[in-house]
Amino acid sequence: MRTALAIARKELSLYFTTPWAYVVFTAMVALSSFFFAALLETFQQVQQMARETTWAQMPPEYDSYRNLTEGVAVQLWGTVIIITLFVAPFLSMRLFAEEKRNKTFELLMTAPVRPIELVVGKYLGGLGIITATLALTLLFPALLSFFGRAETGTALEWSTVLVGFVGVLLWGATCMAVGLFISALTESQMLAALLTFAVLLPWMLLTSVAQASEEPVRSVLTYLSFDSQLQHLLKGVLDVQSFVFFASVIAFSLLLTHRAVEVQRQA
Amino acid sequence: MPMIEVQHLTRRYRDRVAIEDLSFDVAEGELLGFLGPNGAGKSTTMKILTGFLPPSEGVVKVGGFDVTTHPLEVKRRIGYLPETPPLYPEMTVRGYLRFVASLKRLPSRGLDTEVERVASLTGVTHVLGRLIQNLSKGYKQRTGIAQALLGAPPVLILDEPTEGLDPAQRAEVRALIKGLAGKHTVILSTHILPEVTMTCERVLILNQGRIAAHDDLGKLAGLHGPSESASLEEVFIKLTAA
Ligand SMILES: Nc1ncnc2c1ncn2[C@@H]1O[C@H](COP(=O)(O)OP(=O)(O)OP(=O)(O)O)[C@@H](O)[C@H]1O
Ligand SMILES: [Mg+2]
Repeated sequence: MRTALAIARKELSLYFTTPWAYVVFTAMVALSSFFFAALLETFQQVQQMARETTWAQMPPEYDSYRNLTEGVAVQLWGTVIIITLFVAPFLSMRLFAEEKRNKTFELLMTAPVRPIELVVGKYLGGLGIITATLALTLLFPALLSFFGRAETGTALEWSTVLVGFVGVLLWGATCMAVGLFISALTESQMLAALLTFAVLLPWMLLTSVAQASEEPVRSVLTYLSFDSQLQHLLKGVLDVQSFVFFASVIAFSLLLTHRAVEVQRQA
Repeated sequence: MPMIEVQHLTRRYRDRVAIEDLSFDVAEGELLGFLGPNGAGKSTTMKILTGFLPPSEGVVKVGGFDVTTHPLEVKRRIGYLPETPPLYPEMTVRGYLRFVASLKRLPSRGLDTEVERVASLTGVTHVLGRLIQNLSKGYKQRTGIAQALLGAPPVLILDEPTEGLDPAQRAEVRALIKGLAGKHTVILSTHILPEVTMTCERVLILNQGRIAAHDDLGKLAGLHGPSESASLEEVFIKLTAA
């Protein structure tokens, strides 16, 4: 395992020595501040309406706008999930593809390192960088709790927000696992990013397909779609079932990566 | 027991046969020169010896361990310089050597001393702090050699180690390799024939994936040349002309 950690450490330090990580960080922060601002504005408009009338007279779907936690933070996680879908492929693409292009794959495969250690090391490195990227978005709830005011208690329910963030991390971890596998299939980083995106995007659209279809297909598709799996976590409810779901997807991707690394040598 | 045993080794890339039915042994402490025209199969053979490529047929043993069944035991015993030195351009030479040392599971105590040792052997001490992408080709090559020497593995497999070096560096690396003989078992490939004459005791000439000759340098010249003093070049051209 010491070797896996050495690989993870090298992976992380390479991310931070190339400008790429900073481009991704900037994109993450820029996109989520854009959505954050939009969410805040809606929140204020609804609050304004509520002040002119009363909450009882407002349509029930506006209920979530009664506090910052549900009105802004929970919804922000929803958009961060979508941004992650676009950003994660650009972080995962280099994991194996770059080693092959550099010919350093040969170094890794002729060192006394088990393929499993290589895969785990690479994945840990990927987890590190996606965690750093996503952690930047904690800035927004921090701003809310610093500047916001609530009718009762603290401005923000941190427990809800943090469980939601765990959901976001879980999703990021899943994207990286899928991306790692695809990166192990090709020498081209761009192709790896595109393919990862091509796998993740339909997954996002699964919910709408589910809604349009009949039972029992509908429940199966709903179960498989990641946003229905994330629903509870994002709202701050710890949901063991979705942990199991994403952990299985991650484990399966890592197994496939292991297989791909073994098979690649034969080519 | 020979350090490296190769029996009936065949490797195909899809339907193209790269090497066919190779069998040879390398004794412990021997320095074997691997020769052959472009595409003869030298790099392919080396990739199989180091466990990077699986053989299509045949058996390879290093230190008594089969590459296919005990890959880790074999990899632990080999220092390998591939055809293209496997470098991370964004790393410093020191950072890179430390990383390779941890891949080779060298104990973290004494790791810096070991990095310094291989750096001074290959003459990269004064560039240890520089980024690999800014090094000249020759220094990249030296860094590649330094990486192979880390941990003083009993077997060294060097694919064209003097490629890209200037004449002075070439002579230095040659002397370095010559100094390794006896302590290490070395297989080195090259296109520069005088280099083999200067460093190796034995040569193996590959041609179109088959062994054209495998003998002591002296005997080879005597056997194939017009006279006792036939140069290796004449032998090479004669054997690979077919
Ligand atoms: N990945 C590959 N896919 C298909 N064929 C390959 C591959 N690698 C090598 N070959 C073929 O195998 C044969 C042997 O190649 P190899 O690289 O082992 O030769 P070499 O002796 O090292 O040549 P050189 O002196 O040019 O380095 C060549 O015909 C080459 O085209
Ligand atoms: Mg070659």
